Amino acid sequence: MRLPRLLRTTPFRLTLLFLALFAAAASAFLAYIYVATAGEATRRSDREITREMRSLAGAYDRAGIDALNQSLIERAASERPFLYLLMKPDGTRISGSIEESPLESFEGEPKWATFQVTDLDVQGREIKHPARGLQEKMSGGEILFVGADVGEDEAYVIKIVRALWGAGALVVVLGLAGGIIVSRNVSRSMAGLTEVVDAVRNGDFGARANVRGTRDEFDELAEGLNEMLDRLERSMAGHRHAGDAIAHDLRSPLTRLRARLEAAYLDVEAGKGDATQALAQALDDTDGVLKTFGAVLAIARLQAAGQAPDQTLFDPAELAADIAELYEPLCEDKEIDFKAQLDPDLSVRGNREFLAQALANILDNAVKYTPCGGAIMLRVRRRSSGEVEFSVTDTGPGVPDNDRARVVERFVRLENSRNQPGAGLGLSLVGAVAEAHGGRLELDEGPGKVGEVGPGLRVALILPRAG
Amino acid sequence: MQILIVEDDLEAAEAMDRGLSEAGFTCTRTADGEEGLAAARNGGFDVMIVDRMMPRMDGVALVETLRREGDQTPVLFLSALGEINDRVTGLKAGGDDYLVKPYAFAELIARVEALARRRETGSVQTLLRVGDLEMDLIGRSVHRQGKEIDLQPREFQLLEFMMRHAGQSVTRTMLLEKVWEYHFDPQTNVIDVHISRLRSKIDKGFDKPMLQTIRGAGYRLDA
Repeated sequence: MRLPRLLRTTPFRLTLLFLALFAAAASAFLAYIYVATAGEATRRSDREITREMRSLAGAYDRAGIDALNQSLIERAASERPFLYLLMKPDGTRISGSIEESPLESFEGEPKWATFQVTDLDVQGREIKHPARGLQEKMSGGEILFVGADVGEDEAYVIKIVRALWGAGALVVVLGLAGGIIVSRNVSRSMAGLTEVVDAVRNGDFGARANVRGTRDEFDELAEGLNEMLDRLERSMAGHRHAGDAIAHDLRSPLTRLRARLEAAYLDVEAGKGDATQALAQALDDTDGVLKTFGAVLAIARLQAAGQAPDQTLFDPAELAADIAELYEPLCEDKEIDFKAQLDPDLSVRGNREFLAQALANILDNAVKYTPCGGAIMLRVRRRSSGEVEFSVTDTGPGVPDNDRARVVERFVRLENSRNQPGAGLGLSLVGAVAEAHGGRLELDEGPGKVGEVGPGLRVALILPRAG
Repeated sequence: MQILIVEDDLEAAEAMDRGLSEAGFTCTRTADGEEGLAAARNGGFDVMIVDRMMPRMDGVALVETLRREGDQTPVLFLSALGEINDRVTGLKAGGDDYLVKPYAFAELIARVEALARRRETGSVQTLLRVGDLEMDLIGRSVHRQGKEIDLQPREFQLLEFMMRHAGQSVTRTMLLEKVWEYHFDPQTNVIDVHISRLRSKIDKGFDKPMLQTIRGAGYRLDA
């Protein structure tokens, strides 16, 4: 048989465990209180009995049996709760408030007895009270028994015991109730998360957990779950988009290629002209397709790997200087003023080859879009956050604000750049490289308008602090 | 020059054979790793072209076996795997160069040529000479017709590579890989600009240009 769901929850089990521990501790505590209280009650009545015995024995020693008898009679008439019995040395009763000693044997040594006295209540019913008594031999040989009804003490102890039981029951009930409330609360919080997980399992990737704004661990969990799902969804959308984009970007050049080959074939078959030019074009087209394919593959692999392989610790300025050296002559040829400002003594952890390629792609773009007479600035610096930033600023036309996020996506090329070579994968690869290093790509406005062109573009590849 | 082709794609092997034969090489074709190993053990090859993934014995195992047996014939790996890791595994196994499929013929021939020639120069050289161009590897200086030519460090490395492969065509990718040690293709022809700078330094003012551009292939330094 399966327990109801509520009773199977972790919080409820924890409650039971704590309750058991608490009950054990409480029992020990209550037991101690019981022993201390009950013992104290007995000791107190014994002390009083002893005092009474001493006082009566004193009276006997001072004034003899008659005086004792007299004071017994006086005391029995008062409201004192003592029971008396004065006996001759052979045990026959002389006087007192009880008929006979509860002790069956008596050797002359002081002796304690626990017994019961019978009383009549208001309605005339017999009630038995527990009692204690002390029997002693007087110096003249007579025997004196002094007892006391301890019923009141006993009743007090019983009350305490009852109270203790009640308290114990209350602890258990309150504990269980608390446990159930906590479990239900936790279960309700978990239920939202479980629902989301179930929904996602059933293919609904749009499901998101409800964040209640209580900033507790359930909120944190919900936020984490949502973030994870966002990332997953983005990545899936990326793959879907990539599939479409690959189809689009490979299909058109392949179609062109096929048409060219077909036309050349028909021409040659008809005996007119030479196929060389068509073939050369076809080769060029093929190379273009392969380049696109290579870039798509590189991005896909990086994204699939999640993290760039073979990461090492190295000096970012050194890497940037290498790439700067590769591109500097190109800038000079295009009459672009190229400057590099590379802060020394930094270190980053990453895949050198991928980062080199990313930087090369950024510079490729910068050179491509910066007009003659423009300027390009390559910088490596540490941000105040400790992150290392590679940035390339150019004085080209820049990217409009609302397009900046889009150009990082795969295959997106803005309309005005359609006439430039490239498959539109440059920045996507840079983005993938940044992500594979736990970093990010930022696009900003450049230095503003320079002559007719502006405002320029600033592309920053930001890597997390190394180590 | 004898070339051993170990490639299970028969059509690709045949195309390779034809291209290399036209370039003056003599080829022997084998279609899987074990056949290739047997042929290689017979010896007499200047370069081996080995596909990485083949039935029966893959390229890496084949080359590892040959290297263990002491065979030092230069090996060019061909692979459809283009990741840096794959390249490193191939080179660690004893491969001398790595070419990712699909490749241009010019690229293949240039690399095979480079490997075949590398074998001829055994001793460590301190002075390179191509025609009237001289490079002192210890003094780090270059002279043409006795006139000193001032080169940047990278230009020096570039010229050194071209001189070591004088008379052979060298592709842009080869230069990027061997001189800059990058294994990616920049979108713009950065290499062309570097070559034209070098050209202006070693050819300008001399009657005979040495640094040739080979259409569809790359560059060649001629004496």
